[in-house]
Amino acid sequence: MRGGTFTYAAAVGTSCLDPHTSPGDITAVVQRNVFDSLVHLDDRGRFHPWLATSWKISDDARSYTFELRDDVTFHDGTPFDAAAVKANLEHIRAPATKSLYAAALLGPYRDSEILGEHRIRIDFAEPSVPFLQAASTPYLGIASPVSLSRDKDRLCAGGKYSVGSGPFRSERYVKNDRAEFVRNADYRWSPKGAAHQGPPLVDRLVVRFLPEDSVRAGALTSGQVDAAAVPITSARAVRRDSSLKLTKRQAPGAAYALYLNTGRGPLRDERVRRALQRSVDVDALIRGVYRGEYERAWSPLSPATPGGYDDSIEGAIRHDPQGAAALLDRAGWTGRDGEGYRTKDGRRLSLRWPYIGALIRDQRDVLAEAVQAELRKNGIDLVREAVETGAYFERYGKGDYDVWDNAWVRADPAILAGFYLSAQRPAEGGQNVSGANDPQVDAWLRAGAAEKRPQARETSYAKVERWAVDHGTVLPLYVPVTAIGTGEKARGLTFDANAWPQFAGVWKTER
Amino acid sequence: MSRPLPPAARWLLHRAAGAVLVLWGAASLAFLVLHLVPGDPVTTLLGASATDSTALRAEIRREYRLDDPAAAQYAAFLARLATGELGDSYQQRQPVSVIIGEQLGHTAELALGALVLLVAGALLTATLTAGRGRRVRGLASGAELIAVSTPAFWLGIVLLTVFSFRLNVFPVAGAGDWRSLALPVVTLAVPFGSLLAQVLREGMESALHQPFALTARSRGLRPAALRLRHALRHAAVPAVTLSGWLAGGLLSGTVLVETVFARPGLGRVALDAVSGRDIPVVVGLVLLSAAVYLVVNALADLICLWADPRLRSPV
Repeated sequence: MRGGTFTYAAAVGTSCLDPHTSPGDITAVVQRNVFDSLVHLDDRGRFHPWLATSWKISDDARSYTFELRDDVTFHDGTPFDAAAVKANLEHIRAPATKSLYAAALLGPYRDSEILGEHRIRIDFAEPSVPFLQAASTPYLGIASPVSLSRDKDRLCAGGKYSVGSGPFRSERYVKNDRAEFVRNADYRWSPKGAAHQGPPLVDRLVVRFLPEDSVRAGALTSGQVDAAAVPITSARAVRRDSSLKLTKRQAPGAAYALYLNTGRGPLRDERVRRALQRSVDVDALIRGVYRGEYERAWSPLSPATPGGYDDSIEGAIRHDPQGAAALLDRAGWTGRDGEGYRTKDGRRLSLRWPYIGALIRDQRDVLAEAVQAELRKNGIDLVREAVETGAYFERYGKGDYDVWDNAWVRADPAILAGFYLSAQRPAEGGQNVSGANDPQVDAWLRAGAAEKRPQARETSYAKVERWAVDHGTVLPLYVPVTAIGTGEKARGLTFDANAWPQFAGVWKTER
Repeated sequence: MSRPLPPAARWLLHRAAGAVLVLWGAASLAFLVLHLVPGDPVTTLLGASATDSTALRAEIRREYRLDDPAAAQYAAFLARLATGELGDSYQQRQPVSVIIGEQLGHTAELALGALVLLVAGALLTATLTAGRGRRVRGLASGAELIAVSTPAFWLGIVLLTVFSFRLNVFPVAGAGDWRSLALPVVTLAVPFGSLLAQVLREGMESALHQPFALTARSRGLRPAALRLRHALRHAAVPAVTLSGWLAGGLLSGTVLVETVFARPGLGRVALDAVSGRDIPVVVGLVLLSAAVYLVVNALADLICLWADPRLRSPV
């Protein structure tokens, strides 16, 4: 039935709700309701028209020409046109916006030219095949150009300052409490191919921020919210509850993995890195810690990434403690100290892994202790260091770590460029935490960004995946999962290519 | 010839000067500590973001004047504070006064609600149980001991499970009406109320054992009147001296309670600000809590003067 309020309980909040600025997944999930994108990427990795009716990519993939819809208006009544698109791109690029992610997605953006009221050409300094996927994300969502200039200092505050053209109008945001949205009755520009077309069926959408896992699970089971992000520890209970439904989707992008710093200490030696990979029984750990809720990862790339994952990589890392021990012996780590750890020239084989306690989720602390125990069996001392946020990112920039964990949602294999291009050094804001520096890898990644044929593109990225694993730059652990629980009455919740829940078509069976 | 100020005005002036000093000290300490803690605010702000570039860093440093020498930053900081300007949050990109203004109400509601409940509860149990038979007192102080040592976090989850998830009497969390306030207020009030009840009962019992109590009884004063008019007044002084501790406890308690009940409020703002090195927000909150302490202490002094005439100095 129509009308009513649909309430979703999210696990984390955000300090900024401007998707052009904030890098948070939650910003994207919440603001997808408010901001539309030029194109839509469905959960099977296919692009569909949205604010753009069609597009043409130049042969060198350095310029995109978009034909835009002429019947779209923003929530404040401003008509959508080519100038609005340009204003948004410029806003993302402007240093004053302090974009923490959208600007990176925009990549080597150079300029855009308004070719007509509803026609725009976007130019890049380098081939940019991944741009189409970037354009589909809420981070490059299109806001009313009026709000971008008038409220430029208030965009982070969300609420009435978030003005887009989406299925819901943003009404109110109370930090740490809730975001409230109202149905946009004029909405007639749903993405082509989306399950629900036209204005939303519910009158209101409310996103509640409930950080405490047990509280969020209780809110769902008691029917106080219609859907909730389910902590992995409650997945089993939600599945067993006959009044609830659990939907799990593997997230695309970078899987949860440990990156090994090839630039310093014992891990400079590839033999030690490969020994570390082989010392850990990843299958057993993931099964033990996550009880079948998560799958182990074989590659830095998630298998859910459209057009990139190479499944021949599965099995590439074997659990082989004897082989690992032999590798460590050959690398000269033959001594043993009083606690049984390997030594070389009197120094212990000790590796540092900094982390922020408050950011631990998905039982990653339990997993980390299990990895630690596995490595200890082979005489490797993995030291977990709890540090404060400032110190954490300072060490990130300086490369002051041996092991660094990470995962990142993106529905495109181009995510690998961030992690493996030699120029993407952490000190300059890159994510190349393993310090990989190989001209061949750079060439493959550049080819991936320039190659328009899907098959050839996939092959290019597959080579990077293989290289990353074979050279011991990474120990992939698990494939992150979005788990959403829905109540008895909730209907119409779908997922996009990022495995994020979509609320445009939600409704409830009774009031 | 100027007349000497009346004592009340002198007292106020004295208080005000002390208050300014305290606020200045608190702000300076916060400033100092936040600049000594390792980690660069810009690095923290940017985090592991994918767009950290030299240009962006320079932009942020320029905007927040982080490249100025520490002394110049401190001078600018004090000058700004003197005009009542708290600056903009690094993380939330909004004026600190707006952030605090938006969230203050939620925390005040919670803390004041808890205060009323705990004072009422403590007064009630103390007057009812002080000087009673051993079994009554044992039961009361045993219950209080358990309540004092119950972690607020656990209590909150239990209350939620019973009254929200099972019985559906109260909404799970949030802010808005009294129903969403009930469970958080109880959670916050119980441990502090129990301690206050213990202190009050102790004070009342020692008062009831004093000779004046016997005299009053022999004058024909009814036991209830003796308790309410005399013993309570005696017990008030030691209890009121706890008010500073109580104010601090309630303020820090809100951090936990707000997190468990997913309520908006200053506690969680403080948590985010400290971990994110959001200096302007932290300084704003430090000043606010210093101001709360000042007001609470002034009130406590007034209550003591009312309760114990011996403390009133001859004028």
